[in-house]
Parts: sequence; C-alpha cells; structure tokens
Amino acid sequence: MWNEYSVGLGLVMVSAAIGFAVLAREKDDLHRLLIIDLIEIPSLAIIALLGTDLAEALILPGLVVGIAELLALSHIYLAKEELHSQPVRGLNIEVIRLAHAPAIISALLVGYGIILSGFTGGALIGLGAIFYVISREPEEKFELVEMASGIAWAAWIAAFFIFMFFPQYWYAGVMGAALGILLKVSAKMSLMGSMWGGAND
Amino acid sequence: MIEIGGKPIFFLPFGDIVIYFTPFTLTLFLLALVFTVLVIASRPERQIDVVFGGDAYLTKDISLKEMRFRRFMAIACGLASMGAMVTGDLFDFALFASLVGITNVGIVAAVKNRHVQNAAFQYGLVAMAATLPLFAGAAITASTTGTLSILQLAIPAVSGVPLAVKGLIILGVMGEGMAPFYAAKAEMFRAPGAPYVIMCSLSSLLIFLRVIEIVMTV
Repeated sequence: MWNEYSVGLGLVMVSAAIGFAVLAREKDDLHRLLIIDLIEIPSLAIIALLGTDLAEALILPGLVVGIAELLALSHIYLAKEELHSQPVRGLNIEVIRLAHAPAIISALLVGYGIILSGFTGGALIGLGAIFYVISREPEEKFELVEMASGIAWAAWIAAFFIFMFFPQYWYAGVMGAALGILLKVSAKMSLMGSMWGGAND
Repeated sequence: MIEIGGKPIFFLPFGDIVIYFTPFTLTLFLLALVFTVLVIASRPERQIDVVFGGDAYLTKDISLKEMRFRRFMAIACGLASMGAMVTGDLFDFALFASLVGITNVGIVAAVKNRHVQNAAFQYGLVAMAATLPLFAGAAITASTTGTLSILQLAIPAVSGVPLAVKGLIILGVMGEGMAPFYAAKAEMFRAPGAPYVIMCSLSSLLIFLRVIEIVMTV
C-alpha cells in the first residue's frame, strides 16, 4: 500500500492542496497567476512520478501546455491592466556585462548539455542560454527562439516519419529526433520567466 | 468491451495511439467539422447598438486584425475539438482538452474591452488551475492500469480506473475544456462575437459529451 509511488503522490497532493488553499485566499490577479504557475509544478510532478520513459515523453507536452497558458494569460494581464513596457536595461551590472564569466559558464552548460543530449541536455542548454541572455542582452529576442524551435520541431517530425516509413535508416531517425528534442527543450526552457510584453509587440 | 458509443467503425493506428470512430464519436466529429467549415466560410457580423429613445444607431468598429485573430482561434478550437472527439489515448484527450481551453480563452480575450478581458483572465486562471486534476488523472490512470489507451482500458480485465481518478479527469475537463458561462456571457452581451463565439459553446458541449463517454467506458 505505502510504496514509494503512494508516498510521492501523497506529498504532491499535499503540496497541491497547499497551493490551492493559498490561491483561495489571494485576491490580487497577478499574484494568483503566479500561484497558479506554482500549482502547475505538482501536476508535472505527478506525471514524473510514473518514473518510466513514458513520463519523459508526457512531461514535455504538459510543460508546453503550462507555458502556453502562462504566456497567454500574462499577455491578457498586460492588455487588461494597460501596462506598457518600460525601457529596462537588463541586469545592468557592469561586472557581469563586461566579465567573461557568464560566457564561460554558459558555454560549459551548453557543452555539457550537448554531451548529455535529449531531454536533460535540452534543459541544460536552455539554462545556459537564459543565463547568457539575462547577463548580456537587454532585450528578449523571440524571433530567434521561435525559428530554432520551429526547425527543431520539423526535424523531430521528419525523424518520426523516418521511423515509420524507412525503418532501415533508424540511425538517422535517432539522431534527428535527439537533435530536435535537444533544440526544442532548450527553446522551451529559454521562454520560461518571460512575459512577452517587450519590444517585439 | 463496454460499448457506450456503439461498435467502432474504423481504426486509424499511429503506433500505439489508435484513433477510432464509433457512431457516437463520428457524429461529434462531423458536428465539429461542420462548424469549423462554417467558421471558415462565414462573414463576421457587426454589432449594432440602438440609441435609446431615438432613431440613431451605432456600429461597433472592429479591426480586421482582431477579426483575423479570432477566426484563427475559432478554427484552432474546431480542430482541437475534432482531435478530442476521435482520439483513443487518454493523455492525448487531456492535451486536446487543454488546447480547447487555450483557444477558448483566446477567442474571448481578443476583444478589446476591459470587462471581457477581465472575464477571459478569470477563465484562464480556472483553466490553468484545472491542468492539475486533468494531467493528474491521466498520469494516475497510466500508473494504476499501465496503459493510456481507451480501447485497452475498455476491456473489463484491464479496466480498474479508480473512481477518484475518474473524478479528477472530469474535474479537470470541467475547468479546462468547458468554457464557463460567465466567459461566454461576457462575450455574447458585451462584444460583437458571432459567429466565432459559437465555437466556445460548441467545443464545451462536445468535450462534455466525449468525457462522459470516456469515463463510462474506462
């Protein structure tokens, strides 16, 4: 009865219940949005508790749905409250902007991510990209991320077609899918925490 | 196999994800298809406010950009509903339901009106919160029965989805895929919406019928 799965499920459910209890008390719209984003994490955790390859395949769509809804809602919030972007010059800390450390750390993360490959590697590369961008670039550039994500998606789908129709070329399929999911997850990760209210509108 | 929706007519396997049509889901699928075609073909109406006590009337001016966005969202909503009707995989169904939720929020939120956007934001919060029970229901189904395929789950020997999990799925779909009345109402009364607002109500109805079928089957 009380195996690891049940204990984990119980813990996640308790944390979700805490989240919903906080949500019921909160009145401010922005805070409610942030709390709900926090509640998404238990839902990913429940999927992760499956602990199989299937879980890894299911977390990605779950994460995408969560991020898509968060982006849409934050956009509605900006329109609703009539908030406009103010020129913020990034993390304008001279030491960070001029030092080599962010570039080196990002390069290490990206390099290690490429070695790991697949889902985990994509997450690491995304982390490296976010770190580099927030320490160097004052603005968010979504066109590049969108393009990389689109190409990665196309590569992923092409790899699946190879698996289905030309099984003898499975190695090309594996490589295409691995590269695709690597870029895809890194693009997804680098979208986290952005509000889409920037200079791109 | 318990056949609430009738005997499956046609199977379309994609690996282990099998799309199947029963008379029930085929009807719902065709309904969604017809309405999507209607949305593509129809011309949006302009809402007219009559000035009280006089002959004058006001036409609300809606930009082409807004209309394009709403049409895109309505078509996406129709496609997502079609997918949710015929999919044979519980997790896919959850994904399609959340896609319907996102597009419904988009249809409502495109209106440049503070009240409508407030309603859309509240609906969006509900939809986002509902992803927890929805995905939890699908994931716990996979962990208790070992499969997500509705066709597999319909076999009584495999089936054993706990009642609480069915409840979680219904709760999730209620929040996610079914537009609450206040969202649709804000749209109908305050904003020029036809024919795109139809998609909100239609997708809610279809998702409701399908989730009942799924919960009775598994």
